[in-house]
Amino acid sequence: MIDPDGDKRKLTRRAVMVGAGGAALAGPVLAQGLIPSGMIDLGLPGGPSLRPLTPLFPGKGEMIVQRIRPPVLETPMTVFDQGTITPNDRFFVRWNWEMPTSVNAAAHRVAVGGAVKAPASLTLDEIASAGEHVEVVAINQCAGNGRGLSQPRVTGGQWGNGAMGCARWTGVRLKDVLAKAGVVSGATRVRFAGLDVPLTDGAPQFIKSIPIDIAMRDDVLVAWGMNGEPLPLLHGYPLRIVVPGWFSTYWVKMLATIEVLTGEDDSHYVAKTYRVPTQPVSPGDKDFATVPITAMPPRSFITSHADGDTAALGQPLTLRGIAMGGDAALSKVDLVGSGLELPCELGPDEGPFAFRRWTVTIPDVSADLTGIGVRAANVNGAVQPGTLGWNPSGYARNVIERITLRAQ
Amino acid sequence: MRHAVILPIAAALLLAACDRAPTVVFADAAITLPDDPADLPDLPGRDAVIANCTACHSPSTMLQQPRIPREKWQSQVTKMIETYKAPVDEQAIPAIVDYLVAVQTAQAETDGGIAPSP
Ligand code: HEC
Repeated sequence: MIDPDGDKRKLTRRAVMVGAGGAALAGPVLAQGLIPSGMIDLGLPGGPSLRPLTPLFPGKGEMIVQRIRPPVLETPMTVFDQGTITPNDRFFVRWNWEMPTSVNAAAHRVAVGGAVKAPASLTLDEIASAGEHVEVVAINQCAGNGRGLSQPRVTGGQWGNGAMGCARWTGVRLKDVLAKAGVVSGATRVRFAGLDVPLTDGAPQFIKSIPIDIAMRDDVLVAWGMNGEPLPLLHGYPLRIVVPGWFSTYWVKMLATIEVLTGEDDSHYVAKTYRVPTQPVSPGDKDFATVPITAMPPRSFITSHADGDTAALGQPLTLRGIAMGGDAALSKVDLVGSGLELPCELGPDEGPFAFRRWTVTIPDVSADLTGIGVRAANVNGAVQPGTLGWNPSGYARNVIERITLRAQ
Repeated sequence: MRHAVILPIAAALLLAACDRAPTVVFADAAITLPDDPADLPDLPGRDAVIANCTACHSPSTMLQQPRIPREKWQSQVTKMIETYKAPVDEQAIPAIVDYLVAVQTAQAETDGGIAPSP
């Protein structure tokens, strides 16, 4: 759709450039030359589970390196213990195709076209003055967050649970930007494309669409601000779509095109991938119906303790963590497992789409706490399940996450 | 519920400016990403994988996958060619698949993880 650099970035096999020299099998295969500041074990069943940590990506603090190119960086779980807003320098990063590394602000345009009355090509200033400036605190979570923990394992990006973050997003409403071009009646969906394009001719561009009623929501934004700062390039400068309550796949970065559709979206990343089964499936099942992955279910995590930590025998123990309602406000969080079922106290409410702190105190630790976890529920009645809703792409993991604490 | 969290923030600024001029400044931006050393374990077929499989993504895309059978690797290569239009040399495919299977066999022997160097 958009190809700012023309053929320059197109790929032929002969154009491949790589470093020389074989890495020893036991070497840090991923990040040699990146000087990892350490390694982290993501606890992925059966492995490979170790990943390098590095602070060397521009504007980032220490991040888990899933992939250098295109960048895929995961947030260490310890960050989520520090607060409910994820700092920009620790926020996860995920690109499907090579990302542009520069943006010329004056030259940047957002094309608004398709089923509109008057197609428009908007400058960044025109976007910023398209309507009232609004802020929303919302969680941005990769559809594949936690995929690496799936059992049985599935192929794809092998994330732990750190492909999520919560930020304060600032922008204008998408509907105000759409109004600049005028949506025709009969519009069904609104599709977005960014500056990131495939390296090969005929390969699918990462474009995504949302239903028109979602696009017209008051809290769906064309955003330029992330936690009070301009969006970092790694997070989609100059503009990205924000769809509170929906998985990150729709939050298109480096927004360059908005296209109003009047039918279904048959593009690759909507019609072929980022889809979930309509019914529970088992490994090996074939030919089941699927729908695009959309709204997020509730999730919660213990952040004060990690699996294998110790707890003082005969003492009270306070646990702490974060929880989310998904596409609706959180209603409650319970500590479960090891014979316990204790309601947790919830921290300040920063809106239905934000992380919320929880704390709970076990009055007396009398034995090892085996397989304890927290279970979040939202106001729509969705509750985290006790067993994994396995699917072949490892999407939308929200099983209760359990840890074991040794009493001593 | 949802509407309660939206905070109009520019109203005051807009009033002060007496028009709808943007209060946001967009500057040019550029970053430099770390180099990708494209390091791969030294086993037969490595050159074929480097030549055919590292143009669009770092080797970690392959090296971090859970252990999968040969046929699954074969279908991953087919997916790269058919879906993502990867320019793969047909004749190199057996060597690529052999390599990926061999890497996973070796990985399984190092505790399932890629150990850091000493
Ligand atoms: C033309 C670009 C291109 C080339 C060349 C390429 N791939 Fe990929 N590959 C992709 C894209 C795009 C993805 C999805 C990336 C993402 O999700 O971030 C991918 C993902 C993968 C994955 C992850 C699993 C998955 O299904 O997402 C594996 C494994 C993989 N590639 C293996 C290979 C192998 C082996 C080769 C060489 C035969 C190869 N690739 C060559 C574009 C390419």
